[in-house]
Amino acid sequence: MDLMVGPNVTPEVYENVRNKLGLDKPLYVQYFTFLKNVLRGDLGTSILKNVPVKDLIAERLPITLKLGVLSLMVSFAIAVPVGIQAAKHRNTPVDYLSMTFALIGISIPTFGFGLTLLYIFAYKLRWFPISGHGSFWHLVLPVFTVGLTDAAVTARMVRSNILEVMGEDYIRTARSKGLSEKIVMNKHALRNALISIITLLGMRLGWILGGSAILETVFSIPGLGRLMVDGIFSRDYPVVQGSMLVLGASVLFGNLIADILYAAADPRIRY
Amino acid sequence: MSKSLLKSLSLFLIIVLLLPLGLVGCGGEKSSEKVLVIGYDKDADTLDHFKTGVYHDALIYVYDRLVTRDYDYNYKPGLAESWEISDDGTVWTFHLKKGVKFHDGTPLTAEDVAWCIEKIIDPETGSPAQSDFAAVKAAKAVDQHTVEIHLKHPFPNLLFILSNTVAGIASKEAYEKYGDEYGSKYIVGSGPYMLEEWKRGEEVVLKKNPDYDWGPDWMENGGKPIIDKLVFRSIPEETTRLMELEAGNVHILRDITSNVLLQLEDNEDIEIYSAESTRLGYLAYACDKEPFTDIRVRRALNHAINKEEIIKYVFRDTAQPAYGYLPPKLKDEYYPNSKEEGYEYDVEKAKELLREAGYGNGLKLTLAAENSTEFKRLAEVIQDQLKEVGIEVEIQLYDSSSYTAMLKEGKQELFLRQYSWPNADILDWFLLSSQMPYPNHSRWNDPKTDELIQRAATMPTWEERALAYHDVQKHLIEQAVWVPIYIPNHSIAVRKEVKNFKHHPWMIQYNDGIDLEN
Repeated sequence: MDLMVGPNVTPEVYENVRNKLGLDKPLYVQYFTFLKNVLRGDLGTSILKNVPVKDLIAERLPITLKLGVLSLMVSFAIAVPVGIQAAKHRNTPVDYLSMTFALIGISIPTFGFGLTLLYIFAYKLRWFPISGHGSFWHLVLPVFTVGLTDAAVTARMVRSNILEVMGEDYIRTARSKGLSEKIVMNKHALRNALISIITLLGMRLGWILGGSAILETVFSIPGLGRLMVDGIFSRDYPVVQGSMLVLGASVLFGNLIADILYAAADPRIRY
Repeated sequence: MSKSLLKSLSLFLIIVLLLPLGLVGCGGEKSSEKVLVIGYDKDADTLDHFKTGVYHDALIYVYDRLVTRDYDYNYKPGLAESWEISDDGTVWTFHLKKGVKFHDGTPLTAEDVAWCIEKIIDPETGSPAQSDFAAVKAAKAVDQHTVEIHLKHPFPNLLFILSNTVAGIASKEAYEKYGDEYGSKYIVGSGPYMLEEWKRGEEVVLKKNPDYDWGPDWMENGGKPIIDKLVFRSIPEETTRLMELEAGNVHILRDITSNVLLQLEDNEDIEIYSAESTRLGYLAYACDKEPFTDIRVRRALNHAINKEEIIKYVFRDTAQPAYGYLPPKLKDEYYPNSKEEGYEYDVEKAKELLREAGYGNGLKLTLAAENSTEFKRLAEVIQDQLKEVGIEVEIQLYDSSSYTAMLKEGKQELFLRQYSWPNADILDWFLLSSQMPYPNHSRWNDPKTDELIQRAATMPTWEERALAYHDVQKHLIEQAVWVPIYIPNHSIAVRKEVKNFKHHPWMIQYNDGIDLEN
């Protein structure tokens, strides 16, 4: 309340605003009103911006989604081959090298890595714009910041998934049939490892979207994550509620996509 | 199947990655337009100045106000070319400049002015500024170019509130026409710049008002703008903001902290403008709690703080020591004997006072502060200084919103605060007993202070009001309600492409002859 009207306010204004917001009603009534409104697609109105939260999210979600999906693609484009190579050449220098990089990638915070990339490629070399969004070039650094750090995590998971499959009986059977190592890898090991990689895809999407707040702050991108962070700092509760709800829903959505892709990857799964 | 799946997946990947490339064509706008970019940490919440307490800087240039303040804080004509006050001090008559037009081409009339003021004082609007206008009873348009403002009691500070961003004169017609879209898509004023676009969360873009020649006399060339566009960009991360400035994509950064100042010192492309601000940083305490109820303890705290040391080590000499309760920049209102009547740094005296108050064996207190580099360092130095007089301090850091919440709940003992306000009425705000528990977070409940402030606030003339505020400050110093510590410089970083820059301490006037070299 104080946020809207300021601390130095006459009782009339105070009551007026309280009434408008429905804050004079009991808590459970407020909660059911909230649920009812959410079901109707009404996420409330931002206290400070005086704009429906739905509209704010509609403006910003596409930006965050685009970043998230592109980062995920970069991440998997790097992680899958690296993971496979590491698994194939298990306990060789190739494996050690790629897993060392993965370890470094996991350990670097996105925040610091983003600033480092910014400093080198945007500020010193001037290859990319420093902040903002809108063009393709604006996307490169943020996408690679998340893509590379996420690839580190994903590569390790891909590696262990493949190693697990390689230990299965059917791989031994395939080998004993005299199939070439290439066919064993591509036809038997990879196909079976694909399912867990797809699961990973869904999970990572949710993870990336949830972590977008930090990235969007570093690169000054007006996305959903920053909307939420700004909302938290200024205590604009409807905005925080709305953006949390949507970010939560996008994790579920990521998992749903993974479930659908299963069917494509594994003929045994049919819906 | 596996191959075709992989193929289609990779095809999809390639398409999505290349898709944005096709959209880049429209980038790279190189033109002879002069576009000045100013960097901020935050974007506006709304541009409807009737409905917010946080005014985005763009509003300064979109609207004109009846009264302006020049570079020395003097009140000068703005939209009103002159004004007179009735003998009893309760009716002010403002005569408006003729030929002023809103951005949509309609004339600005006395009716718009009266409507704007009525809009602020109407409880239905819910304006946070309503209380600033509490003395205003009504505003009436007498004829097309004359407005009368009727007051409940004499109130010389009317000039100040009419010169603030909140008192920008908007077009009544446009406000009513655009309804909810006013302040998000449209704003219509009569100022030197008009809204071109607001990309929410990103930037506010203003373009030059080509008709503007009714700026105040103290501006060059009638305040006719030279720069074509002003862009107010929000870049939340400080490091990113600095890189943009050094790379030349941002021309001006406001409110530079002392850390950043050091970083920019050697950069020849950037000039730093520093001036004494109307801010005041102070150590406060909950005056209604033990041991602060004892004036000897409050005075001991005042004696225990070494301001010079703080200014040297925390602010690297980018601040001045504060002795009184107002910044000296407010030359009429500032109590000139603040230093003489204040408390000099004296460890022995502090110890003695504490002994007299019964705390000779030491005292354990908490010190709350906002979690920023500067406040943190300040808290550490104060912790050290208080140790000298036998006060053991535990520092507690809060983020800004939980800090406010904590102060409202009244959990504070010692705490650090800084205000920024160019008017003596800040003392009403922080120290009237009716303002408890917030913003009177010093919990100062004193009938004498209330009486002195009430008296000062309702004085008939500006001069008498200023003198009456001297009495308020004298009383506060004597009572040791706060420990005033520092007046930070207001520093602003300006790239060398910006020509003829003038540092206005309160509202920078980009239309006062300021130019940009491409």
